[in-house]
Amino acid sequence: MSNERLVTVTVNGERRSALAEPRTLLVDFIRHGLGLTGTHVGCEQGGCGACTVVLDGELALACCTLAVQADGATLQTVEGLAPAPDRLHPLQSAFQAEHGLQCGYCTPGMLIAADDLLRRTPDPTEQEIRSHLSGNVCRCTGYTGIVAAVQTAARNLRAQATETRGVTAS
Amino acid sequence: MTTRYVGAPVLRVEDPAFLRGRAAFIDDIAPPRCLHAAFLRSPHAHARIVRIDTAAAAALPGVHAVLTGEDFCDELPFTTTIATRPECKTGTRRLLPLDKARHVGDPIAVVVADSRYVAEDALDLIVVEWQLLPVVTDPEAALLAGAPLIHEELGSNDFAHITFTAGDPDGVFARAPRTFSKRFHFGRTHAAPLEGRGVVADWDATTGKATVWTSTQMPHLVRGMLAGQFGMPETSLRVICPAVGGGFGLKVQLFVEEAIVPLLSRRLGRPVKWIEDRSEALGASGHSKEVVMDIDLATDDEGRFLALRGRYVGDGGAYLAHPWTSLIDPLCAASFLPSFYDVQDLAYEVRTPFTNKCPSVAYRGVGWTPGQAAREILIDEAARALDIDPVELRLRNAVPDGIPYRSATGASYDGGSFQGAIRRALELVDYDGLRERQATLRAEGRYLGIGVSPFVEQGGWAARIAAVNGFPGFAYLDSASVSMEPDGTVTVAGGFQSNGQGHETTMAQVVADALQVPFESVRVLQGDTDTVPYATGSYGSRTAVVAGGALLRASGDVRAKLLRLGAHLLEASPDDVELVDGLIRVAGTPSRSVTIKQAAAAAYWGPRPDDLDPALSATRSYDPPETFSNACVVAVVEVDARTGQVAIERLLVVEDCGTIVNPLIVDGQVSGAIAQAVGAVLLEGLPYDEHGQFRAATLADFLFPKTTDLPSVEVDHLETPSPVTEGGFKGMGEGGLIGGPSALVNAIADALVPLGAGASVVRTPLRPCDILELIDAARAAV
Repeated sequence: MSNERLVTVTVNGERRSALAEPRTLLVDFIRHGLGLTGTHVGCEQGGCGACTVVLDGELALACCTLAVQADGATLQTVEGLAPAPDRLHPLQSAFQAEHGLQCGYCTPGMLIAADDLLRRTPDPTEQEIRSHLSGNVCRCTGYTGIVAAVQTAARNLRAQATETRGVTAS
Repeated sequence: MTTRYVGAPVLRVEDPAFLRGRAAFIDDIAPPRCLHAAFLRSPHAHARIVRIDTAAAAALPGVHAVLTGEDFCDELPFTTTIATRPECKTGTRRLLPLDKARHVGDPIAVVVADSRYVAEDALDLIVVEWQLLPVVTDPEAALLAGAPLIHEELGSNDFAHITFTAGDPDGVFARAPRTFSKRFHFGRTHAAPLEGRGVVADWDATTGKATVWTSTQMPHLVRGMLAGQFGMPETSLRVICPAVGGGFGLKVQLFVEEAIVPLLSRRLGRPVKWIEDRSEALGASGHSKEVVMDIDLATDDEGRFLALRGRYVGDGGAYLAHPWTSLIDPLCAASFLPSFYDVQDLAYEVRTPFTNKCPSVAYRGVGWTPGQAAREILIDEAARALDIDPVELRLRNAVPDGIPYRSATGASYDGGSFQGAIRRALELVDYDGLRERQATLRAEGRYLGIGVSPFVEQGGWAARIAAVNGFPGFAYLDSASVSMEPDGTVTVAGGFQSNGQGHETTMAQVVADALQVPFESVRVLQGDTDTVPYATGSYGSRTAVVAGGALLRASGDVRAKLLRLGAHLLEASPDDVELVDGLIRVAGTPSRSVTIKQAAAAAYWGPRPDDLDPALSATRSYDPPETFSNACVVAVVEVDARTGQVAIERLLVVEDCGTIVNPLIVDGQVSGAIAQAVGAVLLEGLPYDEHGQFRAATLADFLFPKTTDLPSVEVDHLETPSPVTEGGFKGMGEGGLIGGPSALVNAIADALVPLGAGASVVRTPLRPCDILELIDAARAAV
């Protein structure tokens, strides 16, 4: 298409460029332009949170954002969560341990939203967890395992932080 | 046999791929040169197609084809019926209609273009001239003489009219000391998996072979039905099912889009992809569970149930679900009219008319959900009238635990914990304490409600369970294979299809125990008809029972060979060796042993007995006897009489699915199904207006239960292994959505009793506006 333009983003720490039409949704750009298919499309109506990503430090619905709006921005997607190819992020481990996923379709958006919560609120109450994740629909779990997973991850991350501080201090 | 994995909360092996965003779902399938399809759908509920002008759409740059019903004239229609039920008509459906649209969302034309964006641009350029027809959206109105006909060739809208009588219900009702009646209209629901439907097809005209990727719960059935549709051998069609983003029964149907997309690929010589958008999913995939029911109960003065009668009118929608038909709701509801209550005199009548609405399809719990709701709310009302505690009334009529029992509708229960589950649930919620608290709160003008919903759940849908549900005369072939590789690792393959249930984990647990090998050494293959043995898929709480049973049988065959190989290596008699914990050893002399790995290597490279067929592989099938899980759901809610809001305080489930494979997964299934029950009762509804216009086409109208809509679900287990199935598995998964809605409906009705509105709960959904209406009506009546 003649009206395509180059959109450049820093995604998961890597500078990437791809073509997008002015009307291309950010989620389509991420999935098909950048090949990061971990971010899912659930509704294209802003109603389910499956496409949740971090855009310049804030949670964003990539289905209700245009790719051109993200030109020059910093993005984080689920692919950027794990610290290493052979290691899971504590949130990811906790989701496995607490059976916080079944079909896995909502999981990337759910993890991104939960990570955002724990960065801001390391020791959230159940109500804070439920409130923060209320924009992310899971049709499989009834959220019981998800809430438990975020609680577990919060605990493990706090313990990790204490350990790190201890190591630094000594 | 030493059990190490069955029964243990083994973490799911499939999780890391999902957690890292590496799992491939249907929209992640992207063959080179793939084109994209979009469907033009009817904006009208019932309208004749006078003319379609596709010229402008076809002329748009990037568009490869614009096709209408005319272009599919030569293709077979879907032909749907229950051949073994003479009461059924036969429904036919063209891939795209030639004559008229029958519901809002009915596909009328399809565009194929370079991108989905361009395809949707082209949809806007198609001009259709419509002639509006009279509309019928009420299933009972659809049965009246003179109702608009959805399918003229059938002569009426009545797809099936089925009646059943056991004993002498009318005689019992005439003589009974007490009789109670309830009319209940269970509202429309939607399985609404977060990932909608989707199909990718690549038809290679030079070889005549086609590959179809589809998000389904039944790859082999899709292959068989499509091969028949296309007149090609099943071996020429490969169906691949990638990760499925939720199914819940919706993906147990074959949809016309799944037939159309491969034909587009054949026609254009390129791969074609269609991914459903959310509005299509909501309005044009399948709705479920809308049944209008009239239930009568006869009792003696002590509340002993004497007879039941039920009339079930299911709203079938515009087309038959293929292949199950619209009977999947009302007939399943009727077949379980007595549940586990000891009633031998009963009658039911089932009808399932066509209407100008989205087709009715299977959704977790199918018709058992509405049937349970109608019966159980009537039981609560009878309890209030008899002044007996509603739980006590149920216990008085429940069949005893642990013994076989044959229901009046012909179901052979294999012994459950019907009463035990109720008692355990009462204990866990402190039922007496709750009732006291309810009384205290009522005195303060607060409305706490308690709903208790015990239920029996068919397990392992296959030939016998299907027959019990009114679908007799069909055999099921569900096979699975177990192969031990030369290094002692194991490959399991089967036609089950996980759509979130974790079969890669649970099936590996079953086989690891049966072969006494480490869980980590077992891999599970599914989702590709070219590589896994035939099975009919995953639905109806069946995989643990059916596939688990087939795998136990196949593992038994492999195990027998391992024992012979081990005995040969040990120079012992096969009768004297045993397989324990990775070793084949001489019983009583554990020091004489070889590893399974050594035995496996011996099968491939020797030494081995001359008369042994060394193939360490077996494919077996299982079409199980009837088996039934049971459970009891308790819902505690508080209704705000000023706002109509329902706050859910507790949701507790005591379930008994026989031998548990993985309690983590069972808990997850229960919790998820309960959340769907919350959606069905408090949030959904999928309304149509009087013109048949669909009023819930976005997620602003159709509300999913969210984190803030329900508390964590509490799950407790009883374990009464089935005496009749392989492994004692009974099957579960649907139950929470069978028992959940009636627990919630009864809790709300219970809360409304002091407001005079308890008995006026006659339908779902019960949104705040609906509850306020009930309260206002009750106040106006005094």
